[in-house]
Amino acid sequence: MPQDKSASKISRGILTTDWQKRACLLVLLLMLLVSFIYSISFGAVSLDKREIFYIILEKIAGLSPDTAITETTREIVLNIRLPRVFLAALVGASLSVAGATFQGLFRNPLADPYIIGVSSGAALGATFAIVSGLSMGFAGFGAVPILAFAGGLATIMLVYQLSRQGDFVPVMTLLLAGIAVSAFLTALVSLFIYFAGERLHQVVFWIMGGLGGARWSYVRVMIPYVLAGYGVIYFFARELNALLLGEDTAQYLGIDAEKLKKIFLAAASLLVSAAVSTTGIIGFIGLVVPHMVRLVAGPDHRFLLPASALSGAVLLIGADTLARTVIAPTELPVGIITALLGAPFFLYLLRRRKK
Amino acid sequence: MTALEGLHFSIKKGALVALIGPNGAGKSTLLRCISRVLKPTLGTLYLDNRDLQKMPLQEVARSLAVVPQDTAVDFDFSVEEIVSMGRYPYLGRFQRESQQDREIVRRAMETTGIAYLAQKPVTNLSGGERQRVIIARALAQEPDLLLLDEPTANLDINFQVEFLELARKLNREKGITVIAAIHDLNLASQFFEYFILLAEKKILSIGKPEEVLTPENINKAYRAPVVIQRNPLHGKLSITVLKRSYLEEKGQRLKVHVIGGGEESVSILAALFDAGFQLSVGPVTREDSSHQFASCYRLPVVTLPPFSPINDHFHRQHLALMEKAHIVVVPSIPFGLGNLRNLEAVEEMLLSRLTGVILEETPFGERDYCGGKARAVYEKIKEKGALFLPDSEALLSYLHDREKNKKPGW
Repeated sequence: MPQDKSASKISRGILTTDWQKRACLLVLLLMLLVSFIYSISFGAVSLDKREIFYIILEKIAGLSPDTAITETTREIVLNIRLPRVFLAALVGASLSVAGATFQGLFRNPLADPYIIGVSSGAALGATFAIVSGLSMGFAGFGAVPILAFAGGLATIMLVYQLSRQGDFVPVMTLLLAGIAVSAFLTALVSLFIYFAGERLHQVVFWIMGGLGGARWSYVRVMIPYVLAGYGVIYFFARELNALLLGEDTAQYLGIDAEKLKKIFLAAASLLVSAAVSTTGIIGFIGLVVPHMVRLVAGPDHRFLLPASALSGAVLLIGADTLARTVIAPTELPVGIITALLGAPFFLYLLRRRKK
Repeated sequence: MTALEGLHFSIKKGALVALIGPNGAGKSTLLRCISRVLKPTLGTLYLDNRDLQKMPLQEVARSLAVVPQDTAVDFDFSVEEIVSMGRYPYLGRFQRESQQDREIVRRAMETTGIAYLAQKPVTNLSGGERQRVIIARALAQEPDLLLLDEPTANLDINFQVEFLELARKLNREKGITVIAAIHDLNLASQFFEYFILLAEKKILSIGKPEEVLTPENINKAYRAPVVIQRNPLHGKLSITVLKRSYLEEKGQRLKVHVIGGGEESVSILAALFDAGFQLSVGPVTREDSSHQFASCYRLPVVTLPPFSPINDHFHRQHLALMEKAHIVVVPSIPFGLGNLRNLEAVEEMLLSRLTGVILEETPFGERDYCGGKARAVYEKIKEKGALFLPDSEALLSYLHDREKNKKPGW
């Protein structure tokens, strides 16, 4: 009897062989490079793509400076748009990989990177920093990203402790504790917003998520988190596959499910916390991207993880470019763009699945 | 609280073992201990003389595979991908499946007959197909020991048999030791060579089916009265749970005597017994199904020696038994020289006090196997005013009516 006990299945993709998947990754990498250049060229000031290319080459290959390129252009490319595109790529990749990991860990395709409360913890930290006008700083960071990062991680630890039963952490309890803690923290955030006064705009803008504050220091601090987080998760990609079939099954296949759960939880939470602390809460990327990839190539994490990272990077660069240019010179929060595009797309996936 | 205690047993390599017991007896718990998902608080499990708890998980997975009860998969891996996961315990960290691994996976799929589904998403399969995918994955682990947890619980009866045939084939052809927790005792007795009966946290009995599947053991474990017989179609033990209502005290109910012999009598006996009448059964041999019915419920019965005619001695016994009844029922059974005397006995006993009821579900002519002799007796019974009813339903409503208007003196 083909009983469809879960409403959570998604039709299977078209890429089946290993070389098809490898080719797909190459194409995605190429798309990432192209989106880099294009995104830098668009904006309040339109830039020539050849010049952009040359400026980047000047920087990394040490070419002699082209005198035809103005210092302003150089300044815009190197210090404004380039870090922004880098950050978009890193955050997009982090959120997508974390989303894929949480979906696997909870065996629930509706999980997103914020499912167990990282976002609300980070939001509380950030809101507190903004509302209180805290002016601390550390290694080029303001109070907002530092408190956001700390808030996100602290939330995860709290949720983890709340749901721990001896040596075991049942994922269902984790999920429910995450929702409860999230709700509580969100209420606190609302309380802060209520008393935000003239800083209200700043708080709301942060919560909507945006890459406007991008700077090289953010990129520098993101890179080790992304590399470590992604590295650890990809290292255990096969184990994540087995966990999709349930913890017992994973154990039957020789995998220490309890240990791996903790590893995945820690790595994915680090990715999300780092991302949220630099850009605020950008929704839907982490939910939708892994779905897209699964639709094309099935749920094998050995492909899903790298493909999600690349697609997430490309998509967030694209969304951010839109956010900057749609009503230029005013910038939209990129979270609005991702939600506007992501939600209908997600509904489309749901409809497709019913057939 | 402990789920199991004081267990001490060993299972020989290559055995085919059924783990039975009532719900909550600890079957799954025991399997989960063997598969290392649970760690016993006390005691040790040995696999090939090695302490299971001290073996690395990967190594355990190379010699022990599990087919769990719930095989639902929410993510649409292809069948081949799922089966390939059985090779995980053999792969090194970034190692991909080698040609040899792929070959093992292919053979596993062929053995379980799902090779043609290889590229299908596992989410689109039926329960029976999915079960085969999971057993193929277990095979890809190349295990020495296969644990099955209620493997047939979610399957249609045809798949149940198919699945257990597959398990037996793996046991016989590949020498894989199989331990299966299984609910259906009749299914288990058809396929398994050894039984472990768990009840109240302990092993109640362990050994061959004849040693374990006794009415006493089953009654003790399941708290249900059962009859155990050899099934005529496969010669294995078959267990029938008796209705509790059958065993209740009958009290002062109408006494009905039923002429035994053949299937027709058993269905009448069961219907009357269910309705609570006091029954006795006419002369039948030990092999007859109505004799089995009578002896199972301890009904008064005239027992004939095997393959013997009804001589004067048994005839008299029969008459004596009928004398105690209020009503004698002749089911729609065939009459030959062997049981013609039963009909004559009825004719003899039809007095005013004893009512004769003849059931005529098929015309009497078709059931007369003694060239008209039975017919003659039959006509006499008719003349004496016996009651003719078409089926057991009519019989039951007649008996209930009789009881309602019962005369004093019963």
